[in-house]
Amino acid sequence: MAKPKNLIQASTAFERVIHWVLGGSCLFLFLTGFGLMFHSLSFIAKLFPPIPYLAAGGHESMKLFHNLCGLLFAVSFLPALLIWGKDTLFINKEDIEWFKVMGGYLWEVENVPEAGKFNSGQKVFFIALLFVWLIMVGTGIFMWFPVLGPFLTRWLYVFHVLGVLILGSFLVIHFYLGTYGNPGTFQVMGHGYVTKAWCKKHRPKWLKDVEAGRRSI
Amino acid sequence: MEEKVMLVDVSKCTACRACQVACKQWNRLPAEKTEQMGTHQNPPDLTWATWNLIRFTEVPIKEGNMKWLFRRDACLHCTDAGCMRACPVPGAIFRTLQGAVVINQQLCIGCKMCVNACPFEVPRINAETNRAYKCTLCWDRTSRGLIPACAKACAMGTLTFGNKDEMVKRAYARAKVLGEKASVYGDKYVDGTHVIYVLPENIRLYEKLTINPSIPLSVILWKDVLKPLSVLAIGATLVGTFFHYILKGPKRPEEGGNEHG
Repeated sequence: MAKPKNLIQASTAFERVIHWVLGGSCLFLFLTGFGLMFHSLSFIAKLFPPIPYLAAGGHESMKLFHNLCGLLFAVSFLPALLIWGKDTLFINKEDIEWFKVMGGYLWEVENVPEAGKFNSGQKVFFIALLFVWLIMVGTGIFMWFPVLGPFLTRWLYVFHVLGVLILGSFLVIHFYLGTYGNPGTFQVMGHGYVTKAWCKKHRPKWLKDVEAGRRSI
Repeated sequence: MEEKVMLVDVSKCTACRACQVACKQWNRLPAEKTEQMGTHQNPPDLTWATWNLIRFTEVPIKEGNMKWLFRRDACLHCTDAGCMRACPVPGAIFRTLQGAVVINQQLCIGCKMCVNACPFEVPRINAETNRAYKCTLCWDRTSRGLIPACAKACAMGTLTFGNKDEMVKRAYARAKVLGEKASVYGDKYVDGTHVIYVLPENIRLYEKLTINPSIPLSVILWKDVLKPLSVLAIGATLVGTFFHYILKGPKRPEEGGNEHG
């Protein structure tokens, strides 16, 4: 995409593709996982046709897709870690200050500590995602291939649902803050360009760094 | 239809294994390659094609003698069944009107959750078809007024089948006759099993008989605590973000900002 006038590039094409693959696979895992966890949602299974030699359709196909998509989710998180890890995994004193005023999201605050590429809330979201990724991949693979014996395997189910609880709650907030809660933000994941005003509001420190040539994106 | 129970009076068992054979015959289960374990127990464990197995336990007693204990092992058909709690497919494990717990292989998806949730380690997977199998308490016979194939074949009166109240009463009466060491196993666990044992010896002497069986804590945490909590948590954040939008409002860039989301 040609650089639009007066807009600033906030994400690379690679970043956006990885975000969509990670997010898409995650949503698909939620859909199929809920279809497996709740009998009342078992109609979701009707969407899944038989797969010759592998699955008889319905729940069995849905579970196969859930497992395969789990692999995609597992793998697509690795580049995500590479891209966003350095800006999110290190919590410092400023983040504590940010959380003391909750980034100005919950009540009126005069001075919110300036955010870099990601604010402190986003950092915590990514750390939670890393944590849940470890849980889901670690438990999921041994639920697919239950070689650990009944006692350990049934504890895996417990942690798998715990992952759903944590990630599900974080995702609702993530969706809200990426769309209605922060107008203009969705394009970071869309075409990748944002206004200067948006940058000043949401990542002022990053804007200074980019303008000074200290970082490209 | 009235709740039915199978009574297994272990004290009468001679380990003839007629029940084991009758089970295979009625349910058309194939023979399997077995393994010599140095006992008469054959095959060594329950399998997808062996739903009914006589377990042989040798218990050493004084003066170089031993006691030879026989126990018919099969699904106990719990009232509160771990397999049913765990199964993700509606109807794949169902309860008959008489109380038996049956796996429908047409609906089973081979996820093995029932295998892992059963406190008795009963359901087994056929690796070829990837489906779970276990005793059905011959619901295809009992729903038509017949007794299970194993009970029909039992010549010793070890296996009897009848109305729940009557069988439980009979179990306690028999245990009383057998003396102090004897006990009744089943009616007090998992809201009552539909297979009840009269054990002439201490429970701990019988191989693979779960002491104080109950729904595993992990299954309760999984299905009764975290599953509803996850819905609650996701719902609460949805409500929370909604109220944030209508009360606090979105965080807009200052003048000149691009307003569309």
